[in-house]
Amino acid sequence: MYPIWRLSRDGRGVRDMAGTTALPDAAAAAATGLVRLRRMAAMRAFDETCLEALRRGAIHGELHVGIGQEAVGAGMAEALRPEDAVVSTHRNHFHALAKGVDARALLAEICERATGLCGGFGGHMHPFDPATGFSATGIVGASLPVALGYAHAFRLRGQAAVAVGVTGDGGAHSGAFHETLVIAGARRLPLVVLVENNGLAISVPFDAITPTKTVAERAPAWGATGLHVDGTDVDAVAGAFARAMEHARGGGGPVILEATCHRFRGHFEGDPEGYRSRAERQHLRERHDPIALCRARLEAAGLAPATLDAILSEEKTRARAMLADVLADPLPDPSEARRHVFTETP
Amino acid sequence: MMAAAAPPDRLAMSVPATIAEAIGLEMARDPTILCIGEDIGRAGGVFGATAGLQQRFGPDRVVDTPIAEMAFAGMAVGLAQAGMRPLVEIMFADFIGVCLEQVFNAAAKIPTMSGGRVRMPVVYKTAGGCIGSAAQHSQCLWGLFAHLPGLKVVAPCNPHDHKGLMAAALRSDDPVVYIEHKALLLMKGRDFRHHPAVPDGAFTVPIGRAAVVRPGSDVTLATLSLSVEHALEAAGTLAAEGISVEVVDLRSVVPLDADTVAGSAARTGRLLVVDEDYLSFGLSAELTLRVIERLGLSGLRQVERLALPDVPIPAARTLEEAVMPGPAAIMARLRQMAKGR
Repeated sequence: MYPIWRLSRDGRGVRDMAGTTALPDAAAAAATGLVRLRRMAAMRAFDETCLEALRRGAIHGELHVGIGQEAVGAGMAEALRPEDAVVSTHRNHFHALAKGVDARALLAEICERATGLCGGFGGHMHPFDPATGFSATGIVGASLPVALGYAHAFRLRGQAAVAVGVTGDGGAHSGAFHETLVIAGARRLPLVVLVENNGLAISVPFDAITPTKTVAERAPAWGATGLHVDGTDVDAVAGAFARAMEHARGGGGPVILEATCHRFRGHFEGDPEGYRSRAERQHLRERHDPIALCRARLEAAGLAPATLDAILSEEKTRARAMLADVLADPLPDPSEARRHVFTETP
Repeated sequence: MMAAAAPPDRLAMSVPATIAEAIGLEMARDPTILCIGEDIGRAGGVFGATAGLQQRFGPDRVVDTPIAEMAFAGMAVGLAQAGMRPLVEIMFADFIGVCLEQVFNAAAKIPTMSGGRVRMPVVYKTAGGCIGSAAQHSQCLWGLFAHLPGLKVVAPCNPHDHKGLMAAALRSDDPVVYIEHKALLLMKGRDFRHHPAVPDGAFTVPIGRAAVVRPGSDVTLATLSLSVEHALEAAGTLAAEGISVEVVDLRSVVPLDADTVAGSAARTGRLLVVDEDYLSFGLSAELTLRVIERLGLSGLRQVERLALPDVPIPAARTLEEAVMPGPAAIMARLRQMAKGR
């Protein structure tokens, strides 16, 4: 049983038993746990592979990895359906993988290859995959109005689909956040606003700039439901996200799901991180690593350490092989640089 | 047998009614089209350009929004990604300042950023132009939109083109900024100097083709939107003085039909570009240079431009008239140019 908090109008947390996840039996719990561990392992391996690609000079621009935030991405995967839409942020790789975007095509896009998801025109901050309903934006807070559009389209077409707009604690302070929720709340649209609260808007700590203790407690202002979850606990996130999706899908209106988590690396690769100490970062890795937490829980439930280690190493190997494969792909042809601005008539 | 509805009296119809007719015809034809904006439903638009549409198509396809342009400008992007064809009304062009983000960073760029995998059939319809509302409610801004790659920018000048370009914008798979002029929105068919017959049914005016709206031989005057009316007034007056002005209505800023202008200027040898938008870094310089690129530096005897000087538009009438390129200023400039014939 993992706690999910539904915040009451006065902002006090109230334990919401209906939202807790009770897994049927130990065997099923172990199976689910292994799937979640593997998802997180694959996500971390993916971003470590991106770091390797950066070291090898395959990425010449900015890179934002999500290492440390795997439980949020992995926790989304189970409740997302193909017809749902996810609109993500500059730190989008895990959300893309959760939505089912082809990992190889995504890595190829990040590595600036012609075979990339967008042929090398988008890069790591702007992956677009109409096939899975995934997109992202590099502008903080700007994901939410786009998700709102999906939600309205779903309502208009009578689809039982949900739009998920991902943002961070930084984006939660933008005007677009408020405007989106005004419209979604008034129309009770099937929108889940997932706030990945990693506690840092680049360098500025969340509690230094925000008037409330959480983002989720502001939900009643927009007629939305606010949920808060420990974003380093993949089981808790999976339960909370499933609950949020069910609520929005069932016509209950928008949900703000806030998952508190930690980013282990800088805002971008190359960030000198003058705003936090090495000891602080070390502490996060030792005490708040979602993969280690999940692994410890599975081990405590009786799973063999060797089985768990195998999952982690298999995903690393898989990602390394994928990178080698991607780096053999051709780079985009410079003669294509002016394409795609407007519809091309054949 | 029911009698067919009487055709509308075109000369009595207002420009907004013509626009609403175009949107209604397209919405009836294509269920993926919807309209979003402030006061467009119950009120039918502050100028009436969506009048009657909410009654016909319901509040989910003609959506009255809160004053939340950032949200609904971006909502259109999500709708387009979800397979819909939204029209967004940004009430006045000046208000783009609060929501440009979604227009230029999302709608304009996503087709390219997605490597052509995502199209953006979004129309941003907005009223520009000066009718005495000072600095924050008078700008045209087509030069601003045109500067940002990925947006088609149209600015019609007569009822026929308002209807045909709206239909073309709604059928376009590219984002289109459709800029009305407030002064034109206050006019009826009979008020126009240049008023080609408007068919009752649906039709399109292709985006990107200029039209020669008055032939002439001494000077080519290229312009768009309300300034076409001003140009025609000036050309009519000057004809009596023996000065023959060819007036070209550009109809769109992106794509910019410099070929038609260059073709005309090659015959007259003189080019005047009139632009109600700001002078610097704008349409007048861009068009002039494109014509020179086509005709060569020696291809023209004279090039002039008349545009809004680089100042915020002042409120008082006397100040406003001093900066606006109205009929009197256009005539004065044309007379000056004709002296060199």
